[in-house]
Amino acid sequence: MDVVTQLLGIIVPLLALAAFVIPLLSLYIKKKGFFDVYVTGFSTLALLISFFTALKVINTGKPLLYAYGGWPPPLGISYEIDSFNAVLGVLTAGIMWFIVLYSVWYSSHMDSYVWYYTLLLGLETGLLGCLYTGDAFNLFVMIEVLSISAYGLVAYYRNKPQAIEAAIKYGMIGAVATTLYFLALVFIYASFGTLNMADISLKAHQLPFFNLISNDIYGHIMAASAVALALALWAFTFKSALFPNHFWLPDAHPEAPTPVSAALSGLVVNVGVYAIIRFMYTIFGKASIVGTIGFRDVVLWALLILGIVSGLVGALLMIVQSDVKRLLAYSTISHIGLIYMGASIGLSSVSQESMSLGLTAALFHIINHSVGKALLFMATGILIWAAGTRDLDKMSGIGRLYPAASLAILLGFFQLMGLPPFGGFFSKLLLYQALISAGLIIPAVMVILISAISILGYIKAMYALIFLPPGSEMTKKPGTGLASAVVLVLGVTCIILGILAPFYIIPWLNNVVSTSLTYQGVLNYINVFREALLKLMPG
Amino acid sequence: MIELETYFFTILVLSMFVNLGLALYGVLARPSLVKKIIALTILSDTANTFAIIVGYARWPSPTLPIKPPVLTNLNPSQVDILVFSQQAVDPLPQALVLTAIVIGLAVTLFLVFLTLQAYRLYGTTDVRKISKLRG
Repeated sequence: MDVVTQLLGIIVPLLALAAFVIPLLSLYIKKKGFFDVYVTGFSTLALLISFFTALKVINTGKPLLYAYGGWPPPLGISYEIDSFNAVLGVLTAGIMWFIVLYSVWYSSHMDSYVWYYTLLLGLETGLLGCLYTGDAFNLFVMIEVLSISAYGLVAYYRNKPQAIEAAIKYGMIGAVATTLYFLALVFIYASFGTLNMADISLKAHQLPFFNLISNDIYGHIMAASAVALALALWAFTFKSALFPNHFWLPDAHPEAPTPVSAALSGLVVNVGVYAIIRFMYTIFGKASIVGTIGFRDVVLWALLILGIVSGLVGALLMIVQSDVKRLLAYSTISHIGLIYMGASIGLSSVSQESMSLGLTAALFHIINHSVGKALLFMATGILIWAAGTRDLDKMSGIGRLYPAASLAILLGFFQLMGLPPFGGFFSKLLLYQALISAGLIIPAVMVILISAISILGYIKAMYALIFLPPGSEMTKKPGTGLASAVVLVLGVTCIILGILAPFYIIPWLNNVVSTSLTYQGVLNYINVFREALLKLMPG
Repeated sequence: MIELETYFFTILVLSMFVNLGLALYGVLARPSLVKKIIALTILSDTANTFAIIVGYARWPSPTLPIKPPVLTNLNPSQVDILVFSQQAVDPLPQALVLTAIVIGLAVTLFLVFLTLQAYRLYGTTDVRKISKLRG
């Protein structure tokens, strides 16, 4: 096994260990600077490893498999990275790196940074673990790691009543959602006799394979897969705040510390989308048993309709918000709706080309939304800190005092709005084209409608923050250099994503999707698992 | 005439579904946070029991005599292993349940802390009053 694969296996346990060591170290080391360097160092390491993993996966065009403890896949936990989750891993580790840098500035205004840093590294552990794992039960464990860190961070200001209420809402229903996912796993294990994603996929696609290690299929697997899918989707739509399950997000995201709002809105919601794509395309794809009985189409239609509703609800409710972080939280719901519209394109009537186009649009929109939303939360965080309030009316014109942050805010809003030279425009355009080519005219029109409605909300926020004249009592507080630099770099990334999109990024992402989520990609995913298993067999 | 064993098994599975429904009702509809947490633990315990049932091997049965699933030889023959694998329960669901219990402990503890903190801040654990008190 080469170095990259070894490092891939190390990174998630290492991050978890690093997180738990922080409180112990804080007993002896009282300097904040040490912990800044410590957390930045580990997140840099995560970024490098995820980057080299992605490089290797995309160069070889073959999924990478790491089996923990040397146990081959159906027996032990394994990480399996195809090009799709490799790209999402780099995105997550990259944005997390910026968030950690920003946290260095932000946590200097906090009472205690120790638990904050612990939970932040825990969040990164959970995010990378969820994305990289190739085992459905490990996904459950990692979702719980992610969730507990997220609940803790939402309730971080524990003397604020609103924060506690938001955390209770998020935590209570979140615990129900993950328990239901556990129940789904019980159904999957009972019928498929395995929890490895590639192995479930192999059996769900009814491919021939002699299984000495993994159990045989038991009982009525179509019914069991349908029940399991229904339960699992409830959990994942909760995590990604799709329409009927979105109620917790506008409370929870604004109450968290600003960098965490950026992580929750920019990255945590992606995990739910990723898990649904993994379940609907890799495990229960078009050719699988669930696809042949038409249940998959029902689920995808439901996701498409909920995506549209979610987009509309988010865009409409965004307009009436007066709290800037709540406004951004509703914008997240709206964008998640758009992403789901792209992700639910794999209906049985849709051709392979349209499907990969739609998934490319979803992936590109995930990237654009993550960059834009993380940028906006962090940049408005500077202004919120300066104004001491989140109320748009009281913050009017504060942006004039911070030109760098204001420039970044403008770039971020343009990105989310979908103004032509920015990435957001190209992903929405691609989504529109994909839906048209799939013959889904009404959803395609809805993409435009949702974008049009949401522009009102964005303009309201931009106008209040930047274009109104500043109040006379406002004075500029110094010391925002690092934070401004972080948001400006993200702002420039938005422009680069847009300028390179038509020539370079979209073809590249299309290649990523077609090597991972199409039928051929799923076969590759299964084959890597098979090879790992065959190594064990004598002869 | 239904076999007694099948009858009990059906009752067991059905009662667990009822349990799931009751627990969901408790979490979603009861106003008291403490009762919500109790319902949540019932929900996760039901899911755990469900996992245990999946690993259940129908033993003892007429074809397999009552003998604990223990390997008595140091170097078991193939026949020994075959008999053992038919008698022993599937260990994986138990490992899953162990993990789920530990995770459930952490989540429950966190929610209990939040409830305590909510009581300190709001003076009540009734969610209806809490949402009214929020300014």
